[in-house]
Amino acid sequence: MFHNRAEALALALPAAVFAAVVFLAPVVILLAEGFHNAEGWSVAAYTGFLSDPLNRTVFLRTLRLGATVTVVAAVIGYAAAFAIVNLPPTAKGRMIGLVVLPLMISPVARTYAWIVILGRTGIVNQALTSVGLTDEPIRFLFTETAVFVGLLQLFLPLMILALISALENMPKDAIPAARVLGANWFQVFWKVILPLTKEGLVIGGTLVFTGSLTAYITPAILGGSKVLMLETLLFQRVTVANDFVSASVIAFILIVMSFAANLLLKRLATARSKR
Amino acid sequence: MNSRLFPVVVLFLVTAFLIGPFFIIVAASVSGGETLAFPPQGLSLKWVAKVFQVESFRESFAMSMLLAIGGTGAALVLGIPASYALSRYRLPFGETIRTVVALPIIVPGIIVGLALLRYLVVPFRFNITLALFLAHTALVLPYAVRVVSASLNNLRSDIEEAAVLLGSSRAGAFFRVVMPNIRSGILAAFILGFVTSFNQVPVSLFLSGPGIRTLPIDMLSYMEITYDPSVAALSALLAFMSIGIVFIAERFLGFSRYV
Repeated sequence: MFHNRAEALALALPAAVFAAVVFLAPVVILLAEGFHNAEGWSVAAYTGFLSDPLNRTVFLRTLRLGATVTVVAAVIGYAAAFAIVNLPPTAKGRMIGLVVLPLMISPVARTYAWIVILGRTGIVNQALTSVGLTDEPIRFLFTETAVFVGLLQLFLPLMILALISALENMPKDAIPAARVLGANWFQVFWKVILPLTKEGLVIGGTLVFTGSLTAYITPAILGGSKVLMLETLLFQRVTVANDFVSASVIAFILIVMSFAANLLLKRLATARSKR
Repeated sequence: MNSRLFPVVVLFLVTAFLIGPFFIIVAASVSGGETLAFPPQGLSLKWVAKVFQVESFRESFAMSMLLAIGGTGAALVLGIPASYALSRYRLPFGETIRTVVALPIIVPGIIVGLALLRYLVVPFRFNITLALFLAHTALVLPYAVRVVSASLNNLRSDIEEAAVLLGSSRAGAFFRVVMPNIRSGILAAFILGFVTSFNQVPVSLFLSGPGIRTLPIDMLSYMEITYDPSVAALSALLAFMSIGIVFIAERFLGFSRYV
């Protein structure tokens, strides 16, 4: 540990000042704008924003999609992480690689694939028509289902990775012990695995939830203007209506939700390192 | 269900869900037909060839490369000294500095882009390319600090203290003792930053002007005009590029432990 304060500040300040000037200051001004109008400080922008039924729909839809994607990712994530953790070492490494890989591929490319799959002449519709389940192609694109599937595919790896590390940190003999003592698999999950991997679940859940809330690409490609989420609504308000007040309100809502989630994560991380 | 069959089925389905769409884009991009379809109507590389002929793709690819390489480089130039100060010095306001530097990862990118447009580009007639560059640098900075800090914390600090005691200058100790030991961490930070910046959409949404666009934004607007398979071909090419980078990084650095 070195003690020269001037030297330490000279090393750290350029990065801090850069982040403060290029990033923090403009964002703070943008947020302040939403609390300010011609008559001074007020929350009129917020009451106005929330009184519009369309905005409320979009807000609730964003929360709903975030919640359902998180819950479904947790269910699939547990099954997948459990299967991966029990693989022999080489196979485990390869499986983890396969889970990490999609995270590195452009989300635009990954989301675009769903157009090929879910489109009017896409795979799903072709399969349905050839089996005779439907005569007309079913509309999947620009529905909430399409956005849900796209988000799930985008963020599932984060949940699986968080649960893998939680399951690996679990005492190895907890599950056999519970089984020997007569617990069925449901009880094992509910009373042993879940409490012991709770932190991993919260970490994965926060990443998936905030990721889904602040997603732009997926609702833009698969939802269009029919299934707006908060970020696509923000973009639309600015580009179509030059409505910077609504933009500032949405920005504040998004930032508050992201921060709350991150605070929760940080609290859990410190709780764990103390133990 | 049989307890041995269950994991296999789960892994198969999850892999199919995560990786399958990628194979479908690849298949769709070698289609000979005029519209996006799977299975492909005949084999042809014409859509792959078209990607290279579309001028806006070429320009926006160059722009994305410039931002990803330049922005990550700048983030490392700012981030390495900051990480060093955070891990080796008793830094006044250390926690505040750490938080400020990490903030861009928490705030949604679309808000950063909008704020820069409103308060930097418009009032000061700031150059869009420069604004994009600053935004991408800020975006990558948290990753740079996180990964470099992690490798600094894994390195015992007494070796550089020993170098200083033996008469090396502080800077000399850093460049001759610390740098060679955290090289793979820096490389991992560069790759992570490059991929993050290259794939980034929301930050760049508002920061584009005539002829100035990043590749993912260009793809989004191309998709609005036509559904021809060239976007699929481009997506496949980009995916191959990412896979190549990650594969090489994993091979030489054990990259996944930094992600």
